[in-house]
Amino acid sequence: MISSASSSSPGGEDLRPGGGEEDHRPGASAAADGGRAAVRVRAAALLAPALGAALACVPVLAPRNITLLNLGFFTFLYVAQGLAWNILGGFAGYVSFGYAAFFGLGAYTTALLWLSGWTPVLTFPLSGLLAAVFSLVVGVPTLRLVGPYFSIATIGVGEAMRILMLNLDRITGGASGLNLPTVVPSKAWFYTAALVMAAIAYATATWIRGSRFGLGLAALRMDLEAAETLGVRTALFKNVAHMISAFLVGVCGGLFATYFQYLHPDTVFSFTESISLVLIALIGGLGTIWGPILGAAVFYAVQDYLQTSYPTLHLLAYGILLIVILLFEPRGLAGLAARIWDRLRPGAAPARSP
Amino acid sequence: MTASPPLQLRHVTKRFGGLIAVDDVTVSIQPGQITGLIGPNGAGKTTLFGVISGRFAPTRGRVDALGRDVTGWSPHAICRLGVCVTHQIVRPFADLSVLENVMVGAAFGGAGRLEAGAAKNEAMAVLEFAGLAARAALPASALTLAQRKRLEIARALATRPSVLLLDEVLAGLTPTEVSHAVTLVRAICARGTTIVMIEHVMHAVMNLSHRVLVLNYGRLIADGTPDEVTRDRQVIEAYLGAGATIGGARG
Repeated sequence: MISSASSSSPGGEDLRPGGGEEDHRPGASAAADGGRAAVRVRAAALLAPALGAALACVPVLAPRNITLLNLGFFTFLYVAQGLAWNILGGFAGYVSFGYAAFFGLGAYTTALLWLSGWTPVLTFPLSGLLAAVFSLVVGVPTLRLVGPYFSIATIGVGEAMRILMLNLDRITGGASGLNLPTVVPSKAWFYTAALVMAAIAYATATWIRGSRFGLGLAALRMDLEAAETLGVRTALFKNVAHMISAFLVGVCGGLFATYFQYLHPDTVFSFTESISLVLIALIGGLGTIWGPILGAAVFYAVQDYLQTSYPTLHLLAYGILLIVILLFEPRGLAGLAARIWDRLRPGAAPARSP
Repeated sequence: MTASPPLQLRHVTKRFGGLIAVDDVTVSIQPGQITGLIGPNGAGKTTLFGVISGRFAPTRGRVDALGRDVTGWSPHAICRLGVCVTHQIVRPFADLSVLENVMVGAAFGGAGRLEAGAAKNEAMAVLEFAGLAARAALPASALTLAQRKRLEIARALATRPSVLLLDEVLAGLTPTEVSHAVTLVRAICARGTTIVMIEHVMHAVMNLSHRVLVLNYGRLIADGTPDEVTRDRQVIEAYLGAGATIGGARG
């Protein structure tokens, strides 16, 4: 690519102050980086379906292993939500601390419809839809803000929703919560359903990343004004990204309600739930596909392992993890994985020496 | 397309609080020409571009572009109509490759919006034209200033504009780089694109422009061929200081 610079262009040669020598080497190595990244992306794209298929076998092989199935259920639910959150937070760069509102709305939609006689699975699309509509109501005013201002506004929205729901006790059960029917599918069913959700979120995120829509999101993340002057409908794009991710998180909320059989506004609308999604994406790698997947796995493993014996120690662990990541690998676990992959792959390694 | 000029400003005024940045500017830009827009620092040139491109709504007055009244339109709508502006301080999407930067313009600008695949081909063609094809795979952050300016132009070109507003694309370049960039601007004009350029590099703008507009304190103080403008008493006094002349006027 670099070698044959056809300079029939009106500007003639590339505009370089000194001769070509100086400029060539960094150019070549950057192009090599680009090529390696492309191979990596392709490998990762093959890995996901393989991993998904392998994980789908677990309930067949170990239908009685409740611990394993539970672990899978919660991890996949976090993977799905992390991937969904990342569509707005990572791709578009709008870090929201208010996703518990979507999760909670999804959970309560399913719960209330279930209590009025619906089959839970049929309520999931509605849970997602309600979350998406609410995200539009919230997004139209708040997505006009940028950077930390947006994040702070979303904290407000999230907390307001929690308190509102706590006080709407006629509908939500308020502080005493809501008991749901106890007739529920098996753990294997939940495991598979959560895996399907994660797969849907993965497919959605992957599609967006490679699409025109994804290009627009990347552009507006890096420079809102420049994107706008090049014809990107930034306000529309931000809101659509918000709605897609809210939809997915809403469905996750519905699935969670079905599993838990008991809902309390402080659980599903909690600030901790919102923070979890931010942490998953940050630990894993903001704006990447594999980031939220790795992030969710680590996040839930840490929480599950520590919470039983030391109920609040996991918060300290996340804090340390976050600091370490910000200091040493801002691209998160996905960045770390890419680095290791590049190093281990024979031949691809240092083609840099002349 | 239409008999109306591609760009027409009527009594355009832009006020920031007590400051009048653009003051009652009325002008119409001729199709296919390169129009230079010059004036001392703070004369309101970039603000005027901002008003045309939809970044600011004018306080008063009206902007017509390509036969439509675009006053108060948002920037993306104006870009899609066919009026694209480049930024004085280059603003590449740093983490995207050079090709992807141009793809943004190709995918979203202009009337026919392209899907990612078609946008890539279009972007590559524009990079060929702009002399950046060899840099397509590099991250935009790896470019030199001259290349970034070129990228800024390429990105705007990819939106297939009928009117291109260039804001100081020559500033900060070495003389060799300037002459390359001048060739590029001329080639864009030869494709039939109407160009308005803000420029401080005098010999280049005098050389390129069919017509020069001079702004001072937000007011249009002169309008004519480069020769006429350089002889204009008001321009010499207001812009260059009393007693000065422009060196190497029209080459």
